[in-house]
Amino acid sequence: MAAIARPTIFHRACQAAAGRRMFSTTPSAPLMTSAFTTAKPLARRPLKAALLRDALPKAAAFHASGSQKILPPLPQVVKGTANDPVPVPSPHPTHGSYHWTFERLIAGGLVPLTIAPFVAGSLNPVMDATLCSLLIVHSHIGFEACIIDYFPDYRVPGLRTALMWILRIATVTVGVGLYEFETHDVGVTEAVKRIWKA
Amino acid sequence: MAALRMSPARLAQSLRAAPISPAWKRTMASVVPPSQTSTITEPAPDKDAKIKTFQIYRWDPDQPTSKPRMQTYTLDLNKTGPMVLDALIRIKNEIDPTLTFRRSCREGICGSCAMNIDGVNTLACLCRIPTETSHQSKIYPLPHTYVVKDLVPDLTLFYKQYRSIKPYLQRDTPPPDGKENRQSRPDREKLDGLYECILCACCSTSCPSYWWNAEQYLGPAILLQSYRWIADSRDEKTAERYDALNNSMSLYRCHTILNCSRTCPKGLNPGLAIAEIKKGMAFA
Repeated sequence: MAAIARPTIFHRACQAAAGRRMFSTTPSAPLMTSAFTTAKPLARRPLKAALLRDALPKAAAFHASGSQKILPPLPQVVKGTANDPVPVPSPHPTHGSYHWTFERLIAGGLVPLTIAPFVAGSLNPVMDATLCSLLIVHSHIGFEACIIDYFPDYRVPGLRTALMWILRIATVTVGVGLYEFETHDVGVTEAVKRIWKA
Repeated sequence: MAALRMSPARLAQSLRAAPISPAWKRTMASVVPPSQTSTITEPAPDKDAKIKTFQIYRWDPDQPTSKPRMQTYTLDLNKTGPMVLDALIRIKNEIDPTLTFRRSCREGICGSCAMNIDGVNTLACLCRIPTETSHQSKIYPLPHTYVVKDLVPDLTLFYKQYRSIKPYLQRDTPPPDGKENRQSRPDREKLDGLYECILCACCSTSCPSYWWNAEQYLGPAILLQSYRWIADSRDEKTAERYDALNNSMSLYRCHTILNCSRTCPKGLNPGLAIAEIKKGMAFA
């Protein structure tokens, strides 16, 4: 919204930023400074006319092409010589094979647990509780994989740790919420049954 | 949001038109029209000439401040061989000798000419030129690689990762007959679909997981090679090979996206090889 209201300002700022990024091999320097420190004492002009003539076409250009890279790749660094192998990490089965097998078992177990109550047509609180806990673990592992993929700890270790803690807090919150829902309300399966009008 | 707090005077100043520089219009690579780039025109095209336009990614390390750009070349397909590599060689020979690319065997054995042609990672020597001339072919280097020049990607990390999986036969015991390590026919057949890999890096550079985590994830090509030695009945270090992959990054960043199997110019299936490794480690 703000960008539409003040397109030229943003256009200028981004142009300056884009220019800097284009002609430098380092990740972009402070973006806003160069655009605004160059302003000279001003001649006033009718604001609306200027907007219509200059700004709006540029707004279109800005919205079509303004791409801000998230975590842009760093300049290439070759660790050691080109003939050294990359270091092999020490084995951690809990993060590797055990983790993967556990994850697959849970994902596989969710399928019958999801179908069973509707096939059987009856509600079983134990089964409902199992479904809830597996869902929580499944989603936790899924979001964890997203964080590991997109926030590498050699680039953003602080953010990575923070996100992991946010995820843990969220998982616990969801767990408590589902517990409350199961014990004081109708439970997940019954809720789906009531909402589902297909 | 500093922009929101500007005085009206500054606002007016900044509203004064700044001509949009050509560099701003395209953020990735700009297109140079053929009239400015083609130094030699085809001599008086005959009536049934099939003129095909190629847009090729250009970047020169000798001018590090200039942006990468797309350069347009036109060729008569009737005078060009059937494959994209033929077109590239003809462009380099007859139009622009500064165009740079790797090539060697021109028959899909060496893996040198891997590049991104019309959005697909493939070998230029195995990729036919699309014959409809209304469509421009776009040729880029392998995606998410550091570019050395034009279509030449830097594969240093790829080879360093290949070295890390110890791609050779590891045995402690000598062969029983003292001559050679023999293998039964079914055991040998387990290596079909694995030994044909030529390490062109098409699959690894098409893998989103490898794009995001190339430093730590090994990528489909290297994992297929790793499985080639895990599956080999003569190799005695299978447990060690599994251990080297048994962490969260090296192998398990594979999320079964299967871009690798789709793009492989040799028709191999790295996705299946990775699944076999995961299976072997799960039941080990």
